[in-house]
Amino acid sequence: MKELSLNILDIAKNSVKAGAKLCTVEITEDRETLDLKISDDGCGMKEEFVKNVTDPFCTTRTTRAVGLGIPLLKLEAEQTGGSFSITSRHESEYPDDHGTVTEAKFYKNHIDMTPLGDIISSVATLVQGSPEIDFLFIHRLPGGEVRLDTRELREVLGDDVPLDLPDVLVWIKENLRGQYDELNAKE
Amino acid sequence: MTVRELSKALGCEELKLPEPDREVEGCYCGDLLSWVMGRAQASQAWITIMSNINIVAVATLCDVSCIILSENVMPDDGVLDVAEAKGVNILRTADTTFGAAAALARVTGNE
Repeated sequence: MKELSLNILDIAKNSVKAGAKLCTVEITEDRETLDLKISDDGCGMKEEFVKNVTDPFCTTRTTRAVGLGIPLLKLEAEQTGGSFSITSRHESEYPDDHGTVTEAKFYKNHIDMTPLGDIISSVATLVQGSPEIDFLFIHRLPGGEVRLDTRELREVLGDDVPLDLPDVLVWIKENLRGQYDELNAKE
Repeated sequence: MTVRELSKALGCEELKLPEPDREVEGCYCGDLLSWVMGRAQASQAWITIMSNINIVAVATLCDVSCIILSENVMPDDGVLDVAEAKGVNILRTADTTFGAAAALARVTGNE
């Protein structure tokens, strides 16, 4: 995809589909690398399914025969000289501790690096698409971190305010933008 | 024009031709798979330098008539087996993507 943030959106939607209550998106950057980690407490996948999940002909979709979200992320990481891994614990075997962790390492200075793109919009889109789920977004940069935790938002707003209200989404975007601006100003 | 006829006309190497009689209607060129996925049309020939297994998935999804690997790119291990199983034609040419597309336009009268 033209932006990594679109890949992130795609992978996080898998977490939503897996019935996750909390989906965590972590991006950790230094000068040379970008590590992406998306973890959830959803139903998880069985071992056999995990093995095949980077195969583009393996998908949970019923509308078409191929699923490309994970294969494309893997390809994009590997074409920078990076790596990809996915581990999962299915609820049938781990009733109290199930979920999936997807990790990808990118070498940012490689010419084929996919730019991160508009991560703020992607985070807002995730919340808008699944306001009943909690998201924890952490972007660690050399100068500090940017963070959004919808559980904290809920505590302040109370249970009656859905997170997909336009005002809430605007606040999320402005808050994230503000955090990035603050970090940039420091540099 | 069928894929086999196109292959002969362009002097391609036939890496895998499970469906040689498919009609070719036009052409799409592109290497960013997620981009191609949303744009290549059914029955077009798709010219690319990408060589991993995902090209077979994109070809299946878009129902293109064949993949033409340009600049003598060699597909990764296993790609041809999956192409056979999924009925995806794969040709190869030493020409550049532009050269192959221009030649395709000539032989199909789309100039």
